[in-house]
Amino acid sequence: MDARRADLPARYAGLDDIVRRVPVSVVWEITLACDLACTHCGSRAGRRRRDELSTSEALDLVEQIAELGARDVGLIGGEAYLRKDWIDIVAAIRAAGMNCDLQTGGRNLTDDRIGRAAAAGLNGIGVSIDGIGPTHDVLRGVPGSYERALDALRRASAHGLVTAVNTQINARSLPELRALMEVVIDAGATNWQLAITTAMGNAADRPDLLLQPWQMLELMPLLAELAVAGRERGLFLQPASNIGYFGPHESAIRNILDPEIHFHGCNAGDTVMGIEADGTIKSCPGLSGSYAGGNVRDMRLREIWETSEPIAFNRRRTVDDLWGYCRTCYYAETCMAGCTWTSHALMGRAGNNPMCHHRALDFEKRGLRERLVQVKGAPGRSFDHGEFEIVVEPMPGAGPARVPDRILVDG
Amino acid sequence: MAESGRIPVPLRLCRGCRQFVRLEDSACPFCGADIAAAEAEHAAHVAEMRRAAEALRAALAERGV
Repeated sequence: MDARRADLPARYAGLDDIVRRVPVSVVWEITLACDLACTHCGSRAGRRRRDELSTSEALDLVEQIAELGARDVGLIGGEAYLRKDWIDIVAAIRAAGMNCDLQTGGRNLTDDRIGRAAAAGLNGIGVSIDGIGPTHDVLRGVPGSYERALDALRRASAHGLVTAVNTQINARSLPELRALMEVVIDAGATNWQLAITTAMGNAADRPDLLLQPWQMLELMPLLAELAVAGRERGLFLQPASNIGYFGPHESAIRNILDPEIHFHGCNAGDTVMGIEADGTIKSCPGLSGSYAGGNVRDMRLREIWETSEPIAFNRRRTVDDLWGYCRTCYYAETCMAGCTWTSHALMGRAGNNPMCHHRALDFEKRGLRERLVQVKGAPGRSFDHGEFEIVVEPMPGAGPARVPDRILVDG
Repeated sequence: MAESGRIPVPLRLCRGCRQFVRLEDSACPFCGADIAAAEAEHAAHVAEMRRAAEALRAALAERGV
């Protein structure tokens, strides 16, 4: 990894950022209020939190974020535009010299709202689109939300904003990804961020929606195909850090101007920071409360970032902390079991991540596959999760295979 | 001074099969290729492509395209 290059996006973290532990990319849930009812929502958004930061607290927090050297602040919710002072927050972020983007479902992102945000300096908008028409509407829980999302995307482009699409990959959306890319390109988006639906919050109540580990065998070649085809047409795929890992398509899907770029492990708490609407600081926006480092109402942000142990797990983690398949994997030292959020939500603790292409290929070679079975539901709180066990079974159509004596491994 | 983040362990690309391999490996554990030889072959191929592109550019310029 080179020091930061001028032609890379602001939120790309280089080695220098890691050494200095700069929270390059800050993802800030400014309210939990939401106008959608997404079936996979990790934070179970809907109503605002009782004790969300006031305007003056939020503006003070912007200054503290800037002091740490952050370059990009992504506003999320709930639905960020439902907070009355969200334009003031955008303006403050830009005035502090940082990029600001809005990640939204777009249902009520009116032309007036986009215009005011653009005037305040908003750099870009990412709109969630999870499938074509009815698929999106079902996943987002509101009829008509697909058309509203597309309208928001077109309006944002008309205002000169950089536009992106965010897509959840799950059992419903996977068959539509190829067609969806055409929609994304037609709508004028230049970036397409994809993430596998994680078994957290509402998604933990819908195991039927989650991909199975063996589906990485279908997903990764497809993403590689779309990444190459998209790039030729001006669309850049941005796989989230829960997509991977390695295998023959790693370079194709993660190539940002350099084929040598590969997954380096979870970067939560090193170059990524998550903030909840009540001022809780986390190392990643998706992680549960047990990873909370503190609250800006009690401590300065710098103090939390530099001294809090719950957000230091990444720099403390060694291969000895990994378990199950990941413990002895060829890529263990680099990968460190991939996305902490994904493995914790599935297995109840980090360090063993079945959602992995290299791993699925390895099982396939032996005529086997892994299947996740939910053994414990989620209690129903924001960012909660259930628990899954991994069943190893013969790969259908693969002929005779030796299934391990202990069927449940890693459970 | 803040504590450093976790320094990533880099890998390199095997030009034989496009899989990433550890720096200390001389043979690719996935396709068996000699990694240095595959890299040299790739570099030669890239150089050849660049020369061809350069020649094409020059030919087009000569014809005023």
